[in-house]
Amino acid sequence: MDPYPSSSQIAQKTWELENDIVSVDTPATSSSADAASDAIFYYDDVAQAKFQQEKPWANDPHYFRRVKISALALLKMVVHARSGGTIEVMGLMQGKTDGDAIIVMDAFALPVEGTETRVNAQADAYEYMVDYSQTNKQAGRLENVVGWYHSHPGYGCWLSGIDVSTQMLNQQFQEPFLAVVIDPTRTVSAGKVEIGAFRTYPEGYKPPDDPVSEYQTIPLNKIEDFGVHCKQYYSLDITYFKSSLDSHLLDLLWNKYWVNTLSSSPLLGNGDYVAGQISDLAEKLEQAENQLAHSRFGSLIAPPQRKKEEESQLAKITRDSAKITVEQVHGLMSQVIKDILFNSVRQSSRSRAEPSEPEPEPMVES
Amino acid sequence: MASSSSSGLTFKLHPLVMVNISDHYTRVKSQMNPPVTSTSCSNTNGNGNGAPAPPPRVYGCVIGVQRGRTVEIFNSFELLYDSATDSLDRAFLLKKQELYKKVFPNFYVLGWYSTGSDAEESDMHIHKALMDINESPVYVLLNPAINHAQKDLPVTIYESEMHVIDGIPQLIFVNSSYTIETVEAERISVDHVAHLKPSDGGSAATQLAAHLTSIHSAIKMLNSRIRVLHHYLVAMQKGEIPYENSLLRQVSSLLRRLPAIESEKFQDDFLMEYSDTLLITYLAMFTNCSSTMNELVEKFNTAYDRHSRRGGRTAFI
Repeated sequence: MDPYPSSSQIAQKTWELENDIVSVDTPATSSSADAASDAIFYYDDVAQAKFQQEKPWANDPHYFRRVKISALALLKMVVHARSGGTIEVMGLMQGKTDGDAIIVMDAFALPVEGTETRVNAQADAYEYMVDYSQTNKQAGRLENVVGWYHSHPGYGCWLSGIDVSTQMLNQQFQEPFLAVVIDPTRTVSAGKVEIGAFRTYPEGYKPPDDPVSEYQTIPLNKIEDFGVHCKQYYSLDITYFKSSLDSHLLDLLWNKYWVNTLSSSPLLGNGDYVAGQISDLAEKLEQAENQLAHSRFGSLIAPPQRKKEEESQLAKITRDSAKITVEQVHGLMSQVIKDILFNSVRQSSRSRAEPSEPEPEPMVES
Repeated sequence: MASSSSSGLTFKLHPLVMVNISDHYTRVKSQMNPPVTSTSCSNTNGNGNGAPAPPPRVYGCVIGVQRGRTVEIFNSFELLYDSATDSLDRAFLLKKQELYKKVFPNFYVLGWYSTGSDAEESDMHIHKALMDINESPVYVLLNPAINHAQKDLPVTIYESEMHVIDGIPQLIFVNSSYTIETVEAERISVDHVAHLKPSDGGSAATQLAAHLTSIHSAIKMLNSRIRVLHHYLVAMQKGEIPYENSLLRQVSSLLRRLPAIESEKFQDDFLMEYSDTLLITYLAMFTNCSSTMNELVEKFNTAYDRHSRRGGRTAFI
């Protein structure tokens, strides 16, 4: 079927090597391999109850380190988050634990609009939750609730002050519990899923020096909230898994999907968001400029630490601007490619030669 | 039993529904056949009992929106099958429907789903039972057998139609075609899970590579499809295959649609978008330069600071 030695396959292999991708599912060559990869779907309630009794997390606040999310849960959460538009939405996740990993098998939406001012948004939804869990158990989904998710449309994946206090409460009474945050706006803009999983430290616990988590840009009006609380929780690594049937379906889905991939236009859908990002960046720049101006006169007297902070402020801004630009350029590249593919053919017998527009160079790494 | 549908309804199916059904099936299947565990202290019963039980049939309900002639299936949920009455548990269905209405107020019950390789006689019974909720329900059938040779999605959509067979009007299932519909967020997450893309930034080069790879794969598919058509047409020209006018007309209309857009306004807008992006790049470069400049000046200041303190001069600006 495919006469070319696929360079994309070579590229994928190289990329997989670079990023240490370990395939969770073994290809279904025999029925035993099938059973092994689908084993994760089996709910062993005896083992779960035993684990619940032991409570290994009570002694170690950093006990859970990894999260495994099923394809179904991810899809549901992202679709629900996106359907909320610019309003925060929330829901619950069901699953189980496995050693130091929390496994999320499914997610469902709650009929409340989570706003940042409501401390106890979940109180409204208790009845819904109980009903839903009951019907689920009957229908053969035996897992318990292991966490909650909510969306931060457009302002990144982190826990706000309210979220931190909610999660601390949850971790006192409903262990094991996980908090997941999804940003649907950034997902669509960047073309990859923006998601973060967090657990809070108990009150008064001093975490050992954590490696700084991956940097993300936070809009100016939220940055205070972020800064105050960012030391009170840690993030967990997220991996995904899918069943063999899921893989099979998704592979076949690609046969229909490629049309959507080609026809997607991220530039069109995200104009507002990008404009917001740029104006936010402008404000941050002004702030940084003021700080720098002050330091100019204080450079003789002020201790050297001050200077480092302002520099990193400007460096952060540079990184943000690079990120916005990269996303824009990617979007434009898609547009240009589509233009070449579909517009450069004329009705006459000869088709046009290579287009003369050079493609813009992507931003260099900051 | 399955011939082509003539109702004229177009069906759109979201990938979430398929993943839902597949997950439901996998779960029920794995609960029935517990996996062999190495630390099996509790698995004393029927673990290695020869052949696993035959795959179960799972049932559920599909919900979505119907606008005019278009039926769009967005989501689904599980239902209980009552083997005593050979139909779906009605109370459960209503309960679940109520719950889902609260979160997704726009979605209505459109039909039901099941797994299996082909529609069966007993399915018509269930189908008829649902007719009081929706007068023309759809039946989505997923074939869970994994067959790597097949290229098409193992999902079929059936509608019921009244046909006169042997003088008796009967309801039979007819096959309907459907398209896959998706929103951008769904597409990205499906892509993400299907190809296990990196979820964090990586370097700019990695991101660029990932983005371009996905476009490349899509173009490769387009290319292969066009080749198939081309091959077919060449064979027709050589006379190996008899002429089929309807197909030729379709191909000709497809070709006549290129170029896609040719108006002046499009060119203007396109170039404007292009310049906007270049402007953003320019600004970002500017920011980068000024930040580097700033660093340079600070370092210079620090280097010459000692001199100024001793001599009492002001710092070098």
